[in-house]
Amino acid sequence: MNILSFSGFIPEQICDTVRFIRHPGQRSIAHYCGYAADFISRVLDDDSIDGCVFPRTCDSTRVLESYLAGSGKFVHRLHVPARRDGLAVAYLAERIKGYQKAVEAHYGVTLDNVPQRGELVNERNAAVARLYGALPELSFGAYIDMLHAMLQRPLAEQTVPDTLPASAGGKPVYLVGSTMCSAGLASAIEEAGMNIVGDRLTESKRLFSAPPVSAKGDIYENIAASMLHNRTSPTQNDFDSILQEDLAEIKSKGVLGVIFVTQKYCEPYDYLYSVYKKALDKLSVPALRLTLTDSTDGRRFDAAIETFADIL
Amino acid sequence: MGQSSIQLQAKLMREYYRDFSKYAKGKLPARKTAWVTAFTPVEILEALDIQYIYPESYAAVIAASGQEQTVLEESERQELCRDCCSYACCIEGTLALEAGPRGLPPRPDVLIATNNQCNTLPNWWNILAERYGVPLIVLDYPGEAAEREMAYEYVIAQHRDLIEKMEALSGNKLDMDRLAQLIENSRASVAAWRRVTDLLAERDIEPTLLFDGISFLITHRCKPETAALYEVMEEEFSQTPPADESKPRLFWLGYPLWYHEKRYMPELLGECRISGSNYITWWSLDYDGDTPMEQLFSAYNYTFLNLKQETKDARLSEDIRRSGAVGAVTLHNKSCKCDFVSARNIPIPQAELEIDMIDRTFLDEGRARRQMEALLESICAG
Repeated sequence: MNILSFSGFIPEQICDTVRFIRHPGQRSIAHYCGYAADFISRVLDDDSIDGCVFPRTCDSTRVLESYLAGSGKFVHRLHVPARRDGLAVAYLAERIKGYQKAVEAHYGVTLDNVPQRGELVNERNAAVARLYGALPELSFGAYIDMLHAMLQRPLAEQTVPDTLPASAGGKPVYLVGSTMCSAGLASAIEEAGMNIVGDRLTESKRLFSAPPVSAKGDIYENIAASMLHNRTSPTQNDFDSILQEDLAEIKSKGVLGVIFVTQKYCEPYDYLYSVYKKALDKLSVPALRLTLTDSTDGRRFDAAIETFADIL
Repeated sequence: MGQSSIQLQAKLMREYYRDFSKYAKGKLPARKTAWVTAFTPVEILEALDIQYIYPESYAAVIAASGQEQTVLEESERQELCRDCCSYACCIEGTLALEAGPRGLPPRPDVLIATNNQCNTLPNWWNILAERYGVPLIVLDYPGEAAEREMAYEYVIAQHRDLIEKMEALSGNKLDMDRLAQLIENSRASVAAWRRVTDLLAERDIEPTLLFDGISFLITHRCKPETAALYEVMEEEFSQTPPADESKPRLFWLGYPLWYHEKRYMPELLGECRISGSNYITWWSLDYDGDTPMEQLFSAYNYTFLNLKQETKDARLSEDIRRSGAVGAVTLHNKSCKCDFVSARNIPIPQAELEIDMIDRTFLDEGRARRQMEALLESICAG
């Protein structure tokens, strides 16, 4: 069983999946998110992948199924609610059960260790949170590489080191975006004399900010509540919370600038940027926007990054 | 002698936009006002005497008036990426400039967005919520992919929650009989509209009339004037001559081009004619069920873009079959990624054009012309 998962909305408590980070896919769909197109390519092209799971959270993921339905592989779409209240928690809990049943039926397995996996996720997230807390002193490039490698492994084998190589210091900046898939971008930012002291990335802050899942009571409702109450994604339609949370962290860490890393045709972040930028302008915090064309976009943004460092 | 459909449409438009010029000068609306997306259960709002405004429709009007480039440029200055839905960019620019062809929409008291057509609209509504500092309500419709019972419980609970909030906003109590009547009005509008659209395949009807005519099924669907309007249209269309059967039939698969005088591109169609379109069926909602709550669930959970791909394929194939089309003009609309895949499995030759329904600069006309020529050649060869 080797299921490729898309985004942070797939409950790790149910079963192991391989988190999609990047893939050099050749698929090009007009006006469509390159990251999602690369996900499609990997599912279709990679024989080691026998299934995939993704949420319905944006227009690109909404139509993923139509590209993958004929793959002959396990394809599951998890409907993550567009709201966060009690109604949504109860609904998502049922959807998570449906996901578990679908995996069990397709692979002929019994997934009976959900509470134990929940505990493993809690422990791992706490360890990542500790590292994040030490970020001003640690290399963000090393931190994000460690996270990406970790999320490729089965949950039981995921380990978080106590420390990482030290940061070279520099001007404190904050990172916003769906994922830091572009290899080397974090290092390029650091090499330009900036120090990434915080982020709102799916694989970092949003991952470990999910409240611990209790094994008491209905485990599925607890998982659902945790998923819906971590740091919010713009796909959850609560930009106000995002601004409040991020601006508080930006102020408390003395951040001098914000780097916004988005995918071309990723509308949730395009919309978020328009209000985020205005909020930063009010605080006189400059922003740099870097738009990636796909998951392996390795273009050097050196000139833009160096200019931004100079501005700071 | 009764009024013509053009007169009736003009009257409805005048009423809808009547105070926009005053709102632009700061007038506040007389009634509580919601800004809604196009598949919002407005029967609930109408029953509670809440005014509802459709920014998407106004964006279409702005493009039709030829003013979209100015507001799209302003939208970019407001940091909204031009890759986003052009409806959103159009309205963002208009609000920033505080000017539009008919004025401005009334200031909202609440913003209601649904995800039964796309996930873009709720994102856009977040920007509006930041601008106006008013509550944002997102209605989450699981669609056909979810088990019916589970979806029903979830959607009904949200509708009840919406009713409670709208009662508090309006100070009115929902009268279920009134709601039932409004749903009956919507059903009558849909039924009459279906009879109108059925005539497109067989009669010599300008598709423009249908692309413009459907806007009332969006903005006025639960009002009795809408069914009355469509009955007049049906009567008028029934009296037009039969379509010229020597002209090959084409299916228009996608949005109208709001900036185009005709809403489509007759200049590229050669001797062909449009005999069907999926866009003009999108608001033909099925209010199935025994109670108003069941009917609203059926109508708004199972919108076309919220169906499974295989269901969409089947519906589209049936629409195409009924239209008799031998080819399709398929629009890859920059602003509607959800609709891209509608045409993935249709059984007739297609010309796939890159367009935007608002931004006229998006179309490479030379390329589109060559694609259309290729389509027409393949149809003739077939």
